[in-house]
Amino acid sequence: MAAFPSTTSTAPLSRPFWHTFPGLLVSGGLIALTLAGLGALIWQARQPDISELWNSPYLRNVIAFTLRQAVISTAISLALGLLVALALLRQSAFPGRKALLRIMELSLVLPTIVAVSGLVACYGREATVTQWLGHWLSYEWNLYGINGIVLAHVFFNAPLAGRILLQSLESVPAPRRRVASQLGLRGWWHWRAVDWPAIRPVLPGVGALVFTLCFTSFAIIMTLGGGPGATTLEVAIYQALRFEFDFGQAAMLAVVQLIICGLLWVFMVRGDFSANLSPQRSFSGAIPRPNCGTAHRVTDRLLLLAFSLFLLLPLIAILARGLPSLAEVVFGDGKALQQLIAASLRSFSIALPAGAFSVATALAILGLGTIRIPALKRLSNLTPAIPLMVPPIVLGTGLFLLLRPGLGDASQGLALVALINGLMALPFTLQLLKEPFRGLDRASLNLADQLGILGWYRWRWLHWPRMRAPLSLAMAYGTGLSLGDFGVIALFGSPAQPTLPVLLYQQMGSYRVELAAATALWLVASLFLVFIGFNALGRSGAPSGTKQLSLERLAEMRHA
Amino acid sequence: MLFRSVLLLAGLASSALAFADNQTTLTVYTQPSFAAEWGPGPAIKQAFEKKCDCTLRYVALESGGDILQRLRLEGASTNADVVLGLDTGTMETARQTGLLAPHDISLDNLDLPIDWTDSMFVPYDYGYFAFVYDTQKLPNPPTSLEALINAPDDLKIIIEDPRTSTPGLGLLLWMRAVYGDKAGEKWQKLSHKILATTKSWSDGYFSLFMNGEAPMILSYSTSPAYHMAVDKTDRYQAARFDEGHYLQVEVAALVKTSRHKDLARDFLKFILTPGFQQHIPLKNVMYPAIDLGDDLPAVFDRLIEPGKTLYIDPAVVAQQRKAWLNQWLNAMIQ
Amino acid sequence: MLEVRQLEFRYTGDQPGWRFDFTLARGACIAINGPSGSGKSTLLNLLGGFLSADAGTISWDGQRIDSLPPWHRPFTSVFQEHNLFEHLDVQTNIGLGMHPGLRLTKDQKARISDSLASVGLAGYERRLPGDLSGGQRQRVALVRTLLRSQPVLLLDEPLTGLDEQARKGLHQLLLAQKASGSAIVLASHDSEDREVLADSQLNL
Repeated sequence: MAAFPSTTSTAPLSRPFWHTFPGLLVSGGLIALTLAGLGALIWQARQPDISELWNSPYLRNVIAFTLRQAVISTAISLALGLLVALALLRQSAFPGRKALLRIMELSLVLPTIVAVSGLVACYGREATVTQWLGHWLSYEWNLYGINGIVLAHVFFNAPLAGRILLQSLESVPAPRRRVASQLGLRGWWHWRAVDWPAIRPVLPGVGALVFTLCFTSFAIIMTLGGGPGATTLEVAIYQALRFEFDFGQAAMLAVVQLIICGLLWVFMVRGDFSANLSPQRSFSGAIPRPNCGTAHRVTDRLLLLAFSLFLLLPLIAILARGLPSLAEVVFGDGKALQQLIAASLRSFSIALPAGAFSVATALAILGLGTIRIPALKRLSNLTPAIPLMVPPIVLGTGLFLLLRPGLGDASQGLALVALINGLMALPFTLQLLKEPFRGLDRASLNLADQLGILGWYRWRWLHWPRMRAPLSLAMAYGTGLSLGDFGVIALFGSPAQPTLPVLLYQQMGSYRVELAAATALWLVASLFLVFIGFNALGRSGAPSGTKQLSLERLAEMRHA
Repeated sequence: MLFRSVLLLAGLASSALAFADNQTTLTVYTQPSFAAEWGPGPAIKQAFEKKCDCTLRYVALESGGDILQRLRLEGASTNADVVLGLDTGTMETARQTGLLAPHDISLDNLDLPIDWTDSMFVPYDYGYFAFVYDTQKLPNPPTSLEALINAPDDLKIIIEDPRTSTPGLGLLLWMRAVYGDKAGEKWQKLSHKILATTKSWSDGYFSLFMNGEAPMILSYSTSPAYHMAVDKTDRYQAARFDEGHYLQVEVAALVKTSRHKDLARDFLKFILTPGFQQHIPLKNVMYPAIDLGDDLPAVFDRLIEPGKTLYIDPAVVAQQRKAWLNQWLNAMIQ
Repeated sequence: MLEVRQLEFRYTGDQPGWRFDFTLARGACIAINGPSGSGKSTLLNLLGGFLSADAGTISWDGQRIDSLPPWHRPFTSVFQEHNLFEHLDVQTNIGLGMHPGLRLTKDQKARISDSLASVGLAGYERRLPGDLSGGQRQRVALVRTLLRSQPVLLLDEPLTGLDEQARKGLHQLLLAQKASGSAIVLASHDSEDREVLADSQLNL
């Protein structure tokens, strides 16, 4: 290579090792965790009776119900999310658009018990909405049953779907939209030519994500399901572990869950895989599209207004319930406030590293996806879903076996919690970063290859300036999910040093209902701040060498 | 085999760590509500450490099931000396795991509504399951289980799921104790009044009951004590049922592999002294397991008297639970 | 000396393949002629390392380079468009050609400014590509090519669509580069480009 003057001094982290190793480590770690957890459950228990799966009408019903509610919830969440994303895209001048986006981001990370409490206050038996419906429309709305399950799942997941789909729709270059409107494309044809191609690459992933969330849903289904008819696999797993100590059965059910969700992911990943091959010049940065919202103005705004209310009312209920006692806490004797602040600091000291770790692992996985080996690619698409598909108790057992000496020890414990929380958030951060990361077009990639802009340099100069906004959003999701997490922290149990959600549960468990309402409100406010803060970071001054540019003009030049 | 060797290695490492500490540490696996700031845990730790020249350490795991799961995984290398937080619904299954050892202490001063001679489990408190109601919404609550079952369907109640929650299992046994084989029919009749069957007590109490979704929730007869003593409100009361109330006893036990068995036994003995028990009434919101005399908070005099104590032998429960659960499921799903 | 021997390539399917065979000395320019679809871009992509050949060899100064990755080959490409990173300013775009991590000395920065001035773009360092005309963008791309000082230039319709004045200027630049020893592989529809720049022709 010394035969000609080489300008390519080696870029840091540019060896293939750095594309594969971190991603493989994360993937391998997740697989090892699952296998260890499942293995340990089976190893120490009686051989599970596999025929029970098809012989027991109870289990058959459980599986059927789990599937049914997940399919309905996913379909409605995706449809509503898509409609809202399209409306948001068209109505860029909608007043309160930014606020609505923040609230959409917030709903997913709300701790279940808090969100359910808000939903019940708004749509429960005693709620004004319900009574209006009954009074004015003679419609007997009953929250408890499949209604409530779907409502809650849509509350959590439609905003998530909408947020990710909006990100994809916004990446359609303005010129393509302009061409479309010049051609007079309306309705179906506009959808076919512009919107559908934009969302097609992300839709399978979002669908699988939402489906898995609904499939493994647990507390919501029991609280709002109205009775034991509403039982999911996760309930059956919990039951087997908690009262029957039947670990074999638990492992068997966990495997069933893993297989059903896993198959779905494999299926989705295939679709995803092919979509990825077509080179297209798309932009990761959000391109404000020309305001062509007049056609749908009225319907769009009505939809957005209704959706805002749907998301806001439960939050207002949480506010109304928690504000009086929060005021008491703040202006009271100080001890309660001190606890709240200490718990907040502890929560943030876990959540921020967790968010960063989650984003870092997502990037490692995406790096693995750039390797041109189909098996690795598929691995990188599948393993991130593991934290969603495997019941926490199995993961907990796996963790325990792999990292045993660290468990139960408070200081190492908290670091581990951050690590695990980061992994739990991985499916979400990955979904947010996937498209922006792939958004570099073929010409730019070739150019970068020839100039030797590899490894760290490529990241610094090509990806980073274009991914600031998605990275900030992913960071916010990772941090938010960790901030609101109760499950993982409970595994490591350190009651003397509660995080905010642990504090909340402790207060509820000791009848301190008012105090718990205050903590819930405080937690929601903290989560809101996380999203506001990271969104602001994502938009603020660009690094040197780049400029805040008019992306719209940029896109026009490019496609002129 | 791989797991065994991993466990062995890990066990060696952690026991080495444990011995490096001069002062003996007594490790108690318990539940979050016990060890929490508002629970009895912190005060009890302080009291016990004063007299034992040791460190008392709580490891809070989510439930009795999680405690046993952890014990099993750790096997002989466990640091746990005592488990605290099992109850009459789960103790037989726990006994069968073979992970626990006899306590060998005297239970003479126990003051339970039933005779207790178990050689493995030491009761630390007890309570009765009861329906707690909102007096503002339900001035005249049903006065018996039968009346509740026969009440008009627009009376809504919240219960917990017997598959996932202790009070939920309590109601299942309560119905069983009162109605025997007729429990299924009664459940079916009751089912029209059940607004929600929640995963845990907290879900039902915080999300639904306190939001006013239903005027009655399955809880403990002692629940109003907290509201009366600390919240200073008489709004929430327990409904006394003529058939009697089902008893729950919470227990502690010695871990078979404990390396500090004498100290652990000291702790089990300490459980049955006022130093431990005085923190139970308001912090665990349950009845103390010994007679506290005048130290029992006054609000406990204002709680309902259960009349008849209903109780099914834990061994029978362990044997029948699955069948009873299935019966319940069938009745409820129809 | 660039030697391309029996270089074969076919896209998947039943399409006929291509075979390329030519040599090019330092300071010389070869024009690749042929209608659209005749394989001009394919050849330049094969040379650049963006496609891999089915058979045959590419050598530079007697050393095989056909298995090297793009960043180790002695080439710089200029295409008809998309030569610049749109989100980076002019100076950064050029600078990344000199050091892939933009670790530039004062001297190098000064050379960027001088070169920009020499193509009539003095003071354009902080502009973004989107703010430039097509001709200005190609001049920036050529400045980067020159400052990279790789021995071989791969030009794929670099001047197509530019106005007369811009083309004249760029011709001068390329001729100067050629005179300083660079070899040029030129794919162009335009006969004037070929007449001004090329010494030999390869007909596809």
